[in-house]
Amino acid sequence: MSEDSVIRRPVLAAHTRYRWDKLRDQHQLVFPEGMIVLNDSAAAIVQLCDGRSTDELIAALVAKLKDPVPASELSDDVQGCLRHLVERGLLRDDAE
Amino acid sequence: MTTPNRPLALLAELTYRCPLQCPYCSNPLELGRYRQELDTETWIRVLGEAAELGVVQLHFSGGEPLVRRDILDLVREARRLELYSNMSTGATVVDGGTLDRLREAGLDHLQVSLLDTDPDSNDRLAGTRSFDRKRDAVRGAKERGFPVTLNVVLHRQNLDRIEDVIRIALEWNVDRLELAHTQYTGWAFRNRAALMPTRAQFEHAEAVVERARAGEAARLDILHVLPDYYQDFPKACLQGWGNVFMNVAPDGAVLPCQTAREITGLEFPNVRDHSLREIWTEAPVFQRFRGTDWLPEPCRSCDRREVDFGGCRCQAFLMTGDAGATDPVCHLSPHHHLVGEALREAERSDPPLRYRVMSA
Repeated sequence: MSEDSVIRRPVLAAHTRYRWDKLRDQHQLVFPEGMIVLNDSAAAIVQLCDGRSTDELIAALVAKLKDPVPASELSDDVQGCLRHLVERGLLRDDAE
Repeated sequence: MTTPNRPLALLAELTYRCPLQCPYCSNPLELGRYRQELDTETWIRVLGEAAELGVVQLHFSGGEPLVRRDILDLVREARRLELYSNMSTGATVVDGGTLDRLREAGLDHLQVSLLDTDPDSNDRLAGTRSFDRKRDAVRGAKERGFPVTLNVVLHRQNLDRIEDVIRIALEWNVDRLELAHTQYTGWAFRNRAALMPTRAQFEHAEAVVERARAGEAARLDILHVLPDYYQDFPKACLQGWGNVFMNVAPDGAVLPCQTAREITGLEFPNVRDHSLREIWTEAPVFQRFRGTDWLPEPCRSCDRREVDFGGCRCQAFLMTGDAGATDPVCHLSPHHHLVGEALREAERSDPPLRYRVMSA
């Protein structure tokens, strides 16, 4: 996948599951024989990867902010996070 | 005593009963000694204790976990506890109805074993007709949206069909393909001379896998576990003894590794007598090789000591008689000559396979 490819409709891969680990105070994305620990922003993104479009996902993120910013300011960071997860095989783009 | 990490994974071996007789099974050789299986209530308690202890991944295995009549109850409980559940199955006793019920109960992932891509060879290695059932189960699982890993244990007798393994994984539409070279403990150690591939076979297969990854199988997530007899350094077996992994055997014994019963002189506590937490934090067997303080030379002063923790304890014991020795597959091990001897013996002999049987 190229640096500037855009993900339009992110969906978690069937074998991955998001969970909050209350013992470790961690957001986790778990898959067969492994997991990654997510920071707060990645966790917020991952929990919205349910078949809605990336634009809708970003709008939902903005709506959660105490001090809202224009959606365009989040776009690069969100795409970066989504691309990383797609490269790891943990997310797919349903628009493809 | 330092406080250990929280364990991440529990291997729940529900039973040693199995319709297959794979000659590289990781179950103990004296299978008949462990017929007293835990009941449903105890397993439910154990799963709860595992979740409280911090376990994230739960692997239902065996034997064949699907021969347990309470399997759906256990899967449901795992789901309720928010554990990520995987099931390793031979998939010979599963039909569409079972798959529907497993999905409904909340099983996250299915791992199906295939012994060979040639149906006759698969059935011969399994000791029973099973190829068609495995194929139907994988296809049925995929139709139901199950994520499936196809697991193929590699050895001399199937390694030359590595191209077919990849082709079948694509045809059957699995999500992941685990290509795991045989680990020579348990039954596999007894069948080592019949299963060990030649270097030429292994190198050819490795090249095929690398080509496929870059080409036609790019969409497949391929996990390739290399044969450690041909590596310079040992595996980081379970990321260290008593570090992240524990195994509850069918009789309730708690093991730091599913083949740890190979090591004579160790005592394994039982969930019938103790909680998982007590066992994990206090049992001498979990502390025996935990961390790096116990390491012998040349590991103790090696800069890879936090990378591989001295390798596999069971392999060290089986090859040298000392579970506290450096894993002999390491080229720095004083016992490394044993690896060369085993490889030479395998090259010049072709003994018959000894199949896994459940005799007393």
